[in-house]
Amino acid sequence: MGTVIRCEHLTKRFGRTTAVDDLTFDVHPGRVTGFLGPNGAGKSTTIRAVLGLDTPDAGRALVGGVAYRDLQQPLRHIGALLDAGAVHRGHTARAHLSALAAAAHIRRDRIDQVLALVGLTDVATRRTGTLSLGMKQRLGIATALLGDPPLLILDEPVNGLDPEGIRWIRTLMRTLAAEGRTVLVSSHLMSEMALTADHLLVIGRGRLLADVAMADFVPPGTSLEDAYLDLTATAVDYRTQPSQGTRP
Amino acid sequence: MPTALSGAVASEIVKLRSLRSTWLTAAFAMAFGLALSIADVSHIASSWPRMAAADRAQFDPVGDSLSGFSFAVLAFGVLGVLAVSSEYTTGLIRFTLLATPRRGVAYTAKTLVVGSFALLLGQLAAFGSFFIGQAFLAKQHLQVSLTDPGVFRAVFCAGLYLFAVTMVGYGLGAVLRHTAGAIASLFALVYLGYGAAKAVEGWSYLPSKLMLSNAADTLAQIQPHPPRPERVPSLTFALLDLALYLTLAGVLGAWRFTRDA
Ligand SMILES: Nc1ncnc2c1ncn2[C@@H]1O[C@H](COP(=O)(O)OP(=O)(O)OP(=O)(O)O)[C@@H](O)[C@H]1O
Ligand SMILES: [Mg+2]
Repeated sequence: MGTVIRCEHLTKRFGRTTAVDDLTFDVHPGRVTGFLGPNGAGKSTTIRAVLGLDTPDAGRALVGGVAYRDLQQPLRHIGALLDAGAVHRGHTARAHLSALAAAAHIRRDRIDQVLALVGLTDVATRRTGTLSLGMKQRLGIATALLGDPPLLILDEPVNGLDPEGIRWIRTLMRTLAAEGRTVLVSSHLMSEMALTADHLLVIGRGRLLADVAMADFVPPGTSLEDAYLDLTATAVDYRTQPSQGTRP
Repeated sequence: MPTALSGAVASEIVKLRSLRSTWLTAAFAMAFGLALSIADVSHIASSWPRMAAADRAQFDPVGDSLSGFSFAVLAFGVLGVLAVSSEYTTGLIRFTLLATPRRGVAYTAKTLVVGSFALLLGQLAAFGSFFIGQAFLAKQHLQVSLTDPGVFRAVFCAGLYLFAVTMVGYGLGAVLRHTAGAIASLFALVYLGYGAAKAVEGWSYLPSKLMLSNAADTLAQIQPHPPRPERVPSLTFALLDLALYLTLAGVLGAWRFTRDA
């Protein structure tokens, strides 16, 4: 069982929008790979295709050499945090994890372990509809870690986390990569990425703009933010207007 | 042996069991059906001595003891809708498919679990309502026993009907992926369908015979007295109706479920 995430000429369209356009890359183990790109660039779509949730229109995505849908007990191979809270409001945090553990034949004591790991032990029996944004995010991280997988894909994991949580997830990702696992993480927070990622994949309008080591992407004396904004300057779809102030 | 299907089934059981809405809808469906049925039979029992012969001829000791479920059946359908539509409206479906990426396996597991629960609940409602109803009718010695001709068949078929409508709701929920839309379609199918089929009776009685509620009249009574006997299918036809609806719901649901969420 390999630990490489591979996309080969991956293409996904929604009606007339081409969300992912002939994307080819490998994500390697032992390092944190940052997945960057402007809003609507196709990061979440790529991730959903890797996870077998979206069927590509062309090309393919492989997890350890196999299509996700052909994995036996996929949760033990790859853990995922999706960009929006995808839990049933009516389920308790524990029920949510129990349902997934049951599907993957994961031992029940692992549920308490991951709840403790993300700091949710005290709210385990609360319905997820009553959890705060950061608590839901922690539940999502607990879900990703449930099967103790060698591969992890995290779509905007720091969303809603408090400073303690942000430091914790950063340390967690670095530790997981140091253990030889494959970690792919998308984020818009450049300062956070600069601290976390060893390698970068940058996409814009569904196409690959860069597949580069962090050290080569950010020349000494500049910031990741500068390098990123330079690279993506021509690939931004949803650009804001310069601030005009409120008075003429 | 741990397989993808056994894991998916276990997972579906956890999901169905841990939702408050499952138990609330089930309790509501049962309570509503039982209350109306009891009101019906207790009224019959108390007014029996003064009842006109024509009204007495309309009496059906089985059908009347289950009459409340001709309305409560919609709550069963809603239960079926929610069992699948809520996964789409909350986004939970993505985790379901992450855990069980083969859509056919995930759908089979869900259908088995929801179907078994619906069958159990339907039979519990039918037999429960029957026995309670007979206790009320016994005051006027109007009761029948399960071993009397046609009685067991009628009670069992009433449970099957509740099961079938639950699964029609389930199929609609899977096809539409939207709770309100699926509930509206379910009501339309059961009530508007009945009216529409009635409207074309000048040309053909076939649409009426295909209606679930008309099938239920045949299935759940021992001596049906419909105002228009032509409208009501034979017992075999009514059972085929249920099979047809179950198949359509299962197949259309499977077709849609295996498409991207
Ligand atoms: N289910 C869908 N139906 C239609 N269009 C979609 C769907 N999902 C994504 N898209 C479109 O595909 C494109 C890529 O979206 P995607 O969510 O992958 O971007 P992203 O890189 O994750 O953006 P963000 O940084 O804002 O999360 C966008 O134009 C989006 O509108
Ligand atoms: Mg996204």
